[in-house]
Amino acid sequence: MTNVISEIKKDFIYNLLLKGERADGRTFDQYREISIQRDVIRKAEGSALVKLGSSQVLVGVKMQPGEPFPDSPNRGVIITNAELVPLASPSFEPGPPNEVGIELARLVDRGVRESKAVDLEALCIVPGKQVWIVFIDVHILDDCGNILDAASLGAISALLCTKVPASKFGLGEDYILPIRDLPIATSAIEFNDVLMFDPGVDEEAIANTKLTIISTIEGNICGTQKSGTGMLKPEQVYRIIDIACEKAKEIREKFLEA
Amino acid sequence: MDRKVVVPGDLLSEDAKRSGEGTYIRNGSVYSLLYGLANFRDKINVIPLAGKYVPGPGDNVIGVVKDITFSNWIVDINSPYDGLLHISEFPKRIESDDMSKYLRIGSSIMTRVKDVDPTMKVELTLNDRKLGQIKAGQVIDISHTRVPRLIGKGGSMISMLKKELNCNIFVGQNGRIWIHGGAEDMDLALKTIALIEREAHTNGLTDRVVGFLKTEKGARS
Amino acid sequence: MDETDITFFKDGLRLDGRRADQLRPVKIEVGVLARADGSCYIEMGGNKVIAAVYGPREVHPRHLQEVSRAIVRYRYNMASFSVEERKRPGPDRRSYELSKVSREALEPVILTSFFPRSVIDVFVEVLQADAGTRTAGINAAAVALADAGIPMKSMISSCAAGKVADTIVLDPMKEEDNFGQADLPIAMTPNGDITLMQMDGGLTPDEFRRAVEMAMKGARDIYEIQRQALVNKYSQLTDPGHVEAVVQ
Repeated sequence: MTNVISEIKKDFIYNLLLKGERADGRTFDQYREISIQRDVIRKAEGSALVKLGSSQVLVGVKMQPGEPFPDSPNRGVIITNAELVPLASPSFEPGPPNEVGIELARLVDRGVRESKAVDLEALCIVPGKQVWIVFIDVHILDDCGNILDAASLGAISALLCTKVPASKFGLGEDYILPIRDLPIATSAIEFNDVLMFDPGVDEEAIANTKLTIISTIEGNICGTQKSGTGMLKPEQVYRIIDIACEKAKEIREKFLEA
Repeated sequence: MDRKVVVPGDLLSEDAKRSGEGTYIRNGSVYSLLYGLANFRDKINVIPLAGKYVPGPGDNVIGVVKDITFSNWIVDINSPYDGLLHISEFPKRIESDDMSKYLRIGSSIMTRVKDVDPTMKVELTLNDRKLGQIKAGQVIDISHTRVPRLIGKGGSMISMLKKELNCNIFVGQNGRIWIHGGAEDMDLALKTIALIEREAHTNGLTDRVVGFLKTEKGARS
Repeated sequence: MDETDITFFKDGLRLDGRRADQLRPVKIEVGVLARADGSCYIEMGGNKVIAAVYGPREVHPRHLQEVSRAIVRYRYNMASFSVEERKRPGPDRRSYELSKVSREALEPVILTSFFPRSVIDVFVEVLQADAGTRTAGINAAAVALADAGIPMKSMISSCAAGKVADTIVLDPMKEEDNFGQADLPIAMTPNGDITLMQMDGGLTPDEFRRAVEMAMKGARDIYEIQRQALVNKYSQLTDPGHVEAVVQ
């Protein structure tokens, strides 16, 4: 089910937008307040609760030894899943992940994988036989918009505090999972040629185009996704990229590198 | 007449006033909405080569009863939208219990679209002497996009066919055509309609149809 | 295997003899399926993809109906024999995602408001895969939609650019995709409105821009081929002797 938004609300947001304003008083490229709590789940090897405004996402990382994929015998495996559980939004329904959930999980995965944040070769235990499998599980708790950026931030935050549970499996001493990059996803919606970063749930409902840019420490782009049924001009894409890389840098410096 | 094959998005004119059927206006210019044949007259119309029939009020159509409810026959009219024939639109007063005695599932009817609401609820009627159940003859399917050519300008083509072919013909806007006549006449009618469907988008069609009928009839006698 | 193990360029040309900014050969046929309302077969390099469009037609199940417009469904499916290692039949997470973004690439140009409460189904079957199946699928689907008589504001054309051996290349083939540094597929209107954009790998913002521009140029070339294929189908429909209008 899609979020139905009333005409009145739509007009309200639209009229604000013409004045250069947003309902919560933010500027167009301003993120809501971010807070990250790490190690919130004892049973997980790593975890993080990310709050982005009122949106809340919990990410847990579990690790266990397993078999490598035949085409990469000396590399660990990352498996990312996302649950859009019905407690998080009236529009989420129980059941297997729908395409929105699958897209979200694959984008979180894309950021971690393509930035090479996790050194997969370091996760090899016995080449061809045994490697570490890293399960990144994303639980959306409260969808007040832009859960993708929150989930992506949650994944890298959880990985940063992940302890490889080697002793549990008789494989030596536990050690901190080495992380080599800090990918940050930043999303903007486009509406009447206005680009709004970190959209709230109502803003998401009026726009029909969103572009997500995932960028690395170096300021390079390691993942992109346009979603929604609208269109973007190349100039809009380039503008989003410029702002996205800058925002990502701010978030990274403030929350991950500290 | 200037004609051209176009695809969706082709620029047709920079004069917005020339926007006709199958076109749209963007920034004051006229573009094609469809893959089809653009006719450039005062207005530019694009005739599609394919597509589904969308019912409009007043259309004559041929339908097949696919379900019966308490007071409606639900009628397949070769469209994304089923037609509803309410019991009160049957030419004589009947009881709900008797509905299937008059029109059964599978019955074909010549009917007319009475009304279509914005959500595409389609109401049909049989309240006209020309309308009713089909009990004899043959129904053939052509693409509904060819129907305007089969009817011809001001009905010229279809009147000519009825006269020359010595058949009853009922043309449904939904591309279903009923033909009733002698076996040989019906056979020729089928061939002629096939010709019109095949060559609908060419110039000089009427002349070729007249020529075709002449040759075929000549061969017969 | 690592990207360093492969030589992607020889005498300035790619493994298959192309220049960096050159498309693979593209072949498009319109109306290849009898039952579908519209259809298209496309070959883009080693990709062989067929697309069928059904509808607008009734929506089943009914609760999916939208009162004021048609819904669009897009099913991207890979035949199990289309890839080197047999693919398990049926949808996987990748195909769900590709179906979603491909649908969203086409929906912006479809006049869905013309057909309330109905569905337009697009089925894309990848018969042989050689990198770029989603772009091939979108190209075929756009042609099949036109062939089905669906009203659209414009066509949609899709093409990818990639990065191999630090060079931006157009329309990557399998080896370049597997061992390359980045892949950036886009879809757009002939006007340059982007309706699909994905990327994975690593690009600097400047490389990103160059890749977008290159992919857009590729999409424009593909648009011309799509258009020609549709025009050609028309001339086959009627005896050419009877067509007095000049087909451009």
